[in-house]
Amino acid sequence: MAAAPEGEALAHVTHERSLLLRFAGNRPTQATAIDDVTVELAVLVDGHLGRAATNETDAQSLSACADRALLAAEAAAATAAPTTHPGFPPGPPPRPHRGHDPDTAALDPARGGAALATAFAAAERHKLEAHGVWTVAEEERAVATSAGGALDRTTDALMKVICIGPGGRSGYASRVGVAASAIEPEPLTERAAAKALAPGTPAELPPGEYPVVMESRAVGSLLELLGSTALNGLAYAEGRGALAGRLGERVAAPAINLSDSPQHHATLPRAFDAEGTPKQPMPLIQDGVAQAVVHDLRSGALAGAASTGHALAPGGIPEGPQPYNLVLTGGGARDVEELCAPIERGVYVTRFWYENVVRPKETLVTAVTRDGTFLIEDGRVTQPLRDLRLTDSVLRILSGVQDLGAGQELASQAEFYGRRFAHGVVCPALRAGAVRFTDTTG
Amino acid sequence: MDAAGKRAEYADARFVRTQSELLSTRNGAVDQADSQDSEGIGVRVRVGGSWGFAAVRGTDKRGAEAALERALAVAAAQPPSRGAALAEEPPAVGSYESPAERDPFEVPLEDKLAVLWAADALLRTEPEVAVTHARFQAVRVHKLFASTDGALCEQVLTECGGGLAAVAVDGEESQIRSFPTSHGGHMEQTGYERFLLLDLAGEAPRVSAEAAALVRAPACPSETTTLILAGEQLGSQLHESVGHAVELDRVLGREASYAGTSFVPSDGIGKLRFGSEHVNVTADATHPGGLGSYRWDDEGVEGRSMPIVRDGVLAGFLSSRETAAEIGLDRSGGCMRADGFARQPIVRMTNVSLEPGDAGTLADLVADTERGLLIDTNRSWSIDDRRLHFQFEGEAGWEIHNGEVGRLVRNPSYAGVTPRFWAGCDAVCSASEWQLSALLDCGKGEPGQTTHVSHGSAPARFRDVEVGVA
Repeated sequence: MAAAPEGEALAHVTHERSLLLRFAGNRPTQATAIDDVTVELAVLVDGHLGRAATNETDAQSLSACADRALLAAEAAAATAAPTTHPGFPPGPPPRPHRGHDPDTAALDPARGGAALATAFAAAERHKLEAHGVWTVAEEERAVATSAGGALDRTTDALMKVICIGPGGRSGYASRVGVAASAIEPEPLTERAAAKALAPGTPAELPPGEYPVVMESRAVGSLLELLGSTALNGLAYAEGRGALAGRLGERVAAPAINLSDSPQHHATLPRAFDAEGTPKQPMPLIQDGVAQAVVHDLRSGALAGAASTGHALAPGGIPEGPQPYNLVLTGGGARDVEELCAPIERGVYVTRFWYENVVRPKETLVTAVTRDGTFLIEDGRVTQPLRDLRLTDSVLRILSGVQDLGAGQELASQAEFYGRRFAHGVVCPALRAGAVRFTDTTG
Repeated sequence: MDAAGKRAEYADARFVRTQSELLSTRNGAVDQADSQDSEGIGVRVRVGGSWGFAAVRGTDKRGAEAALERALAVAAAQPPSRGAALAEEPPAVGSYESPAERDPFEVPLEDKLAVLWAADALLRTEPEVAVTHARFQAVRVHKLFASTDGALCEQVLTECGGGLAAVAVDGEESQIRSFPTSHGGHMEQTGYERFLLLDLAGEAPRVSAEAAALVRAPACPSETTTLILAGEQLGSQLHESVGHAVELDRVLGREASYAGTSFVPSDGIGKLRFGSEHVNVTADATHPGGLGSYRWDDEGVEGRSMPIVRDGVLAGFLSSRETAAEIGLDRSGGCMRADGFARQPIVRMTNVSLEPGDAGTLADLVADTERGLLIDTNRSWSIDDRRLHFQFEGEAGWEIHNGEVGRLVRNPSYAGVTPRFWAGCDAVCSASEWQLSALLDCGKGEPGQTTHVSHGSAPARFRDVEVGVA
């Protein structure tokens, strides 16, 4: 780094230490402990980017990695194609946060084993099978340029439990946060069990539009899809995003206030992005009006804007930047019962599965409900429902939001592909007026 | 292995070195000039029926010993398990390297970028096209596997390929067209020669023109009709509704917390009707060029070809040593694959392919179809957690009228229920039309693992399918 011209090289280092225990049918099935590092080096030659990554940290390996990045940048520069990359400018120092818990960083397998045993015992009391995951991790991220560097240290902990009964009915509950001590396996399992044991035979609703109450886990997954499509600065800059030409317009109900808030007390905080740009709170939709999209250095340059600290790799990724600390402000409803109260006939959704974007410019997505779908009749949940396929526009659903719960929860997909990057959406449950379901699936 | 054998019922260790290179252009500029290199050791142990797995980077003995200690500690910390004994398997011994005429990592970067740049320029010929991509990718995985059962084997697998995409935007409409497949392009287990054979520059003008035509095309009508699937879209259909449904870990409920279970019962072999008599599906880990090909899987079981569906009836599962033993199979299907050294192997697809039929060429099949819809490239996919109810949308659809390909339609979606959909298969094209398509983003497992697989198929026809559903 010291040898590189200012703004023309950047190192991004991630050190993951993690432990993940899986279980199925009231027994442990897989357990994975990882200790690994990724060093990403980004080099600019005449504005052209070359990158190389390695997990070896001896001097020879790092030197070879730097040579590969430089060679790639020189090859890119040799094309003499136009480039708009602004370089890696030094930024202000990142703000500290409270996203690290030393107790969680111990990655104690005994604590995980005890959590599993508690979940199994609770499920067996109800003659149910517990399936799920208990996981903890410590992630250290550092960025360095010739102008200096910064270090961010975080922890995350998650447990999810799916209880399944003999008839195949299932219920889901999860808890995610910075500290493993906040995870309480017994109440979590009881919540999941209550859904699996809800009385009644699953009813079937024909495809159509219904009012819906969604728990925070379901809301969070739809907002993540909104983040990858409409709030993505590269899609916006290229004219293929749903908010292209629509900033300043009403795109959702007035009750919708969505921000990216990396220091919110319930989120998994981060100090800076993969390009070292410090993270700051930013409003994205205020009172239903679109305010901004998120940028990394590249998309910002294309859009004539500054990076907002949302790069997922030095130099960005082809899919573009995304917000990973989304926070949806809560509303006035005391709980989900109060959200259900005005509904004559509708659907209660615990979570969605296999969410996928169908047409990004419309924010049209599809997903199926799973692990706790119920019929709402005359203002209350009355019986289980066969699962349903949602095919609708996220912005259309948000435009139909009538009320939101007062409480917020961190909802996380916790999928951990590649190098661990724990994130989630802080959001309440909500009620939407008319959501489009296109099939019965359960 | 000596140290592990004294302290565990079973243990294995994998050294994996992964090398990859990804080059891409976007709107005429180099978008990605990336290389990645990683190596490390993953140690898996079984103690008291519980598995423990630990991964450390590097290759030194101290790190491997630390991984063993961590794996043992993790296994011991869990509640006792009642895991089945592992199916017997002769120890894997030997070495293997997948064939590659020209090493893709030895080709100068400038040469590869020149191919992409030329193709990208030919994509930017239509005014509606706002974003263009051309992509090259190569991956090499070097593995050493040893187990307390006496296995010691080494293999080197090289993959190479690429692709194109053009995104057209016109007001509120945005459409994408890709070649030869979407979601990252086409790869095979081969050398640089396969990338050149794609002839990206030759295909670019057509891809660009089709993307532009799509933003002006009428929307796919909603109706129940005959559907002809080809290429990547038929591969995706096989992948989601057949391949995942016959993974034995899902069938046994092991993936209920994430990927889901399966509608297929564990005692369904020889009994469960999966589709019509035209449906014959094979899982083949030996097919040359397939991304699901290998000499040994990641627990040392020799890869082989196995029937999955024969004459429409379930004939087999994708399995591991543990899951095979659990339902009384003599041997594992050899389907355990891991995403690098830092993930433990899980049941995965090999090359799950639809066997060719006797319906001739795609042109013959279209000529034999009075009315319907043809889809060949995937844009969106979703299926429920039992692999029953699915919904797909292709990039482009072509109406079929009176045995001829008609007008182009945008947003060609369809939905169905797995056994009912495959029961409606009344024709599969002949062997001359059979080809592999690649799927580069198959996700499964916790922590998540991504793998590359291939699916072979010839175009097939399905009756009474709901289209225009999204």
